Amino acid sequence: MKSIAESADISASARPFNPWPGTIFACLSVLALLFLAPTFGVLMSSIKSKREIAFGQLWTMPSELFLGNFADVLSNPAVHQYLLNTFLVTAPATAASITLGVLGGYVFAKLPFKGSDLLFLALVSGMFFPPQVILIPLFRLFNSMGLIDTLWPMIIVHTAMGIPICTLLMRNFFATVPNPLRECAIIEGANEWQILVLVALPLSLPALAVLATLQFTWIWNDFLWPLIFTQSDDKRTIMLGLVFMRGQYSVAWGIQGAMSLIASLPTLLVFLFFQRYFIKGMTMGAVKG
Amino acid sequence: MDRSIALWRTVFLILPVSVFAVFVIWPLLSSFYYSFTNWNGFNPNYDFVGFDNFAKIYTDRLFASAAINTVIWMVAAIILPTGLGLFLALLIDSRVPGGTLFKSVFYLPICLSAVVVGQVWVWIYQPDWGLLNTVLTYFSSEKINYAWLAKPESALFSVIVAWSWQQTGLSMVIYLAGLTAIPSDLQEVCELEGSSWWQKVRLVLLPLLAPATVVVIALSVINSLKGFDILFIMTEGGPFNSSDTLAMHMYNESFRKYYMGYGSAIAVVLFLVALAIIWLYFRQLRKVDEIYS
Repeated sequence: MKSIAESADISASARPFNPWPGTIFACLSVLALLFLAPTFGVLMSSIKSKREIAFGQLWTMPSELFLGNFADVLSNPAVHQYLLNTFLVTAPATAASITLGVLGGYVFAKLPFKGSDLLFLALVSGMFFPPQVILIPLFRLFNSMGLIDTLWPMIIVHTAMGIPICTLLMRNFFATVPNPLRECAIIEGANEWQILVLVALPLSLPALAVLATLQFTWIWNDFLWPLIFTQSDDKRTIMLGLVFMRGQYSVAWGIQGAMSLIASLPTLLVFLFFQRYFIKGMTMGAVKG
Repeated sequence: MDRSIALWRTVFLILPVSVFAVFVIWPLLSSFYYSFTNWNGFNPNYDFVGFDNFAKIYTDRLFASAAINTVIWMVAAIILPTGLGLFLALLIDSRVPGGTLFKSVFYLPICLSAVVVGQVWVWIYQPDWGLLNTVLTYFSSEKINYAWLAKPESALFSVIVAWSWQQTGLSMVIYLAGLTAIPSDLQEVCELEGSSWWQKVRLVLLPLLAPATVVVIALSVINSLKGFDILFIMTEGGPFNSSDTLAMHMYNESFRKYYMGYGSAIAVVLFLVALAIIWLYFRQLRKVDEIYS
């Protein structure tokens, strides 16, 4: 403390030349280029012709823009099926997990009861466990229900596994909705369902956006569940299809690159447009867990 | 009034709680049950074998090497994404021009799938034309065509580097959130004091970032337990099981060899390890809370 008082009179003009901002900027630029190199390589390979790649030019700028790889991938009916399957899993599972999270989160934030903290902790801890822990019993369960090799197991499991993060984020968000608002609605004769739908939810659009981006990205990108639950080609999701098509196009690097980009496009777009929500969700989920 | 609230609670909770109970809690408990059986995945009949599966864990050489690899992965997860994420967060937080753009660049890999990340890095490590060997050859006198993923010495570490590339952005944003919470007058005092950037980081920021560090390390360790997809894509645990982790070993025993009983025993071990880490995490988090509040 003493030294602060002593040196507090050093004014801004007396400060010596500061080399840090320049150094930091240079350092970050180099690291950013290193970080981008892998993604950039895929992008470059996807717009090169087979001939150009065959000359060992995978990591350089293409001499001309070649869209044949994208045409090949997009005209493949299997890819259409993979994309359709992924969408048919991702959309309902995202919606269902958020709906369940909203219902649970509302109770934990606004209608707590004896033991609700414990129940909440049990629900939320679910997001920390490796999926291998429930793999075999789920396989057996869906097998006995005759649902293996349909899209249902993926929809159901992603909904169930999404409940922890959705409940956590919604509870934290609903906790910030002022209580007088709810009391006011009760006096006006609203029941809890009306309060949730007409008062709390309209105020929670940012939280819903956070969850929609997170859940969409995770479910779209998932690999393990379709690997376990599907067998035939026409039930595969895009990420699983990507792995199986790699064998089909084993040395066609350009086509592989185009395939990866098409498979990543939906999540890349979500990232570009909703990055703010995405980052918020990741930090909220982590820090307040 | 109270009765109507109790009714609404039930109405709201019945769906999330029952879905979670049926498709997460019940399978979790069943894993314990199957770990005492010799179920093979197809035959509806199976026998109880007591602790045989757990005894097998003791003698299974592959389990031992998978456990060691999982520990290596955890240690690397603490050093690589955490350390690099902290470094990047500190640089970006020091009000450089283009900070938001840098943030997006480092965060971008998070939105890519493990399948795509794995494939990109398979290309980087490719012996003949991969980016890594191309760059190394450029700086060396001879042509380098080391097969990074096909050599037992380097396979595991190569996968961990690829995985860290994806995870670093997550550590970075959590540290950035931690840095925003540090009052800016503290930073201004440092500047008035005439302390260097490094002094400010070491003496002021790092101690105040302790809560964020607990979160980042716990997340990295937990995520390293989940490290399966990217490993499956890049090496499938090979060569010669040299890059197997517990999650990968569990998959191999259950869905390749169909020893579902033994696979369940590995799942139980995995669950107990995760539980221990989560317990430590919550305890540390509470301790950190007590110190700072």
